[in-house]
Amino acid sequence: MEEKQIGQSNSNKKIRPQGIKSWLNHRVLRRLIQTGSAVFILFLVVQNYILGEGSGANTVSPEAFCPFGGLETLYKWINSGGALISHTHLSNLVLLAAVLITALLFRSAFCGWICPLGFIQDLIASLRKGLQRRWPAFRRWMASVRKFAAPLAILDRYLRLVKYLVLAWSVIGAAVYGYMVFRDFDPWSALINIATWTFTPGLVVLAVTLIASFFVERPWCRYACPLGAASGLVGKLSPVYLKREESACTSCKICTRACPMGLPVHTATTIKSLDCNSCLECVDQCPVNGALEVKIGLTLFGK
Amino acid sequence: MMRINPIVYGFLVLFVFFGTILAFQGAGIWSVSGKVTAGGDAIQPVAADVNTIKGWMTLEQISTTYNVPLAELLAHFQLPADTASTTAIKDLESDTFDTTALRDWLVSRTQPVLEKQITTPVETMIVPTQTPILVTTPVPTEHVVPANTVTGKTTFQELLNWGVSEKAIVTVIGSDLPAPSTIIRDFVTQKGLDFPTIKTALQTEVDKQK
Repeated sequence: MEEKQIGQSNSNKKIRPQGIKSWLNHRVLRRLIQTGSAVFILFLVVQNYILGEGSGANTVSPEAFCPFGGLETLYKWINSGGALISHTHLSNLVLLAAVLITALLFRSAFCGWICPLGFIQDLIASLRKGLQRRWPAFRRWMASVRKFAAPLAILDRYLRLVKYLVLAWSVIGAAVYGYMVFRDFDPWSALINIATWTFTPGLVVLAVTLIASFFVERPWCRYACPLGAASGLVGKLSPVYLKREESACTSCKICTRACPMGLPVHTATTIKSLDCNSCLECVDQCPVNGALEVKIGLTLFGK
Repeated sequence: MMRINPIVYGFLVLFVFFGTILAFQGAGIWSVSGKVTAGGDAIQPVAADVNTIKGWMTLEQISTTYNVPLAELLAHFQLPADTASTTAIKDLESDTFDTTALRDWLVSRTQPVLEKQITTPVETMIVPTQTPILVTTPVPTEHVVPANTVTGKTTFQELLNWGVSEKAIVTVIGSDLPAPSTIIRDFVTQKGLDFPTIKTALQTEVDKQK
């Protein structure tokens, strides 16, 4: 069996392009999109801080570009015939529509390819991986931390349900009370308003998220993001999914280790998890041709 | 089952996400400002409801809508007398001035002082002196703008209804009469004109009809 696997992997092994061609891959494209998205928001934050909305200059609040604001204001918008709750704009509803349509076709691709908060968590995880590669002492320290925290892994599957509670609370709360009950706890809102030096619980959530990102990849996305929860639910209807070809797979677990959402890719046949953010890191990292691919079909079930 | 190249997948995601946004923008369904409704109409403060005041609204809007002289407003909140009328409320926020304080002041300002008070006798048992004490409770009232007054939400149709001729309006605004339902302030602002000046001129025309 071992010989067969090795033989298979050698014959089907992906050939990694060298030189400039090595840059022509989806990882680079994904990072470029994420960077562009983050720089755009950063520009709005800085511009808004320096010029101010009331200056008469053509400034825009970065909050106008948060899709989740659209979900929070949706009930009032429908019920009142077009009125929006405070801090939301028509653009929030349009972005929500864009996120959900994208999810309907390509699962939670917004989370994996565009979301700036996801990108920040990715950057911190990349920093940790870089440090692990360079400093063996740090690598050993991280290994001991993982070993120490291993018993907590049992909580993972339950903590993943928290984001659906956050989704329900924030949407129902906004509908009942007429304002964004989630806003003060929202790490994204805290981040884009950080220049106002206003202390909110969201700042604490942001700090916890950023620190946790060093140890667990995308902790906010995994456990608490309500937009990711909504996107994942809609994405369940998407015809796009990942297919693991058991006959080609060598069960090397590289895909599972590459998954920022911590999904057990190497044991699945079709990956249609609500938590999958379609970053395709697993596909990129898979060393065998045809073992893991993106497919279009009408498979509603799968891990 | 068709296979998709990951790079193609990325471009498709980009195309669908930004394509959706562009499609909405193309259909006119887009606004990054809280200053217009979904229908594109400008959000204005409403004289009868101070809760419609937003931080981005200007002193001029408040002065016009609630019929408060700008100088009185500035003096009450100890703001610099030379503060431009186009300054947004939130840009002037301090310990003594913010949207809530402004709302409270406008409400208290419109309440009558003596004539509309309710007097309620309090039981003498609790008063050692046996002297009845009167507790006064002011009746909240809505601010009422005098009839035929040009404000920040007056439309051209209202001017016509008040008897101002189309010719007189055209002379004041210096251009053709827009749709009668247009709010004068929106039109004037859009044209880059000074609303207080136009408002005064139009009010003069209205007063001539009285």
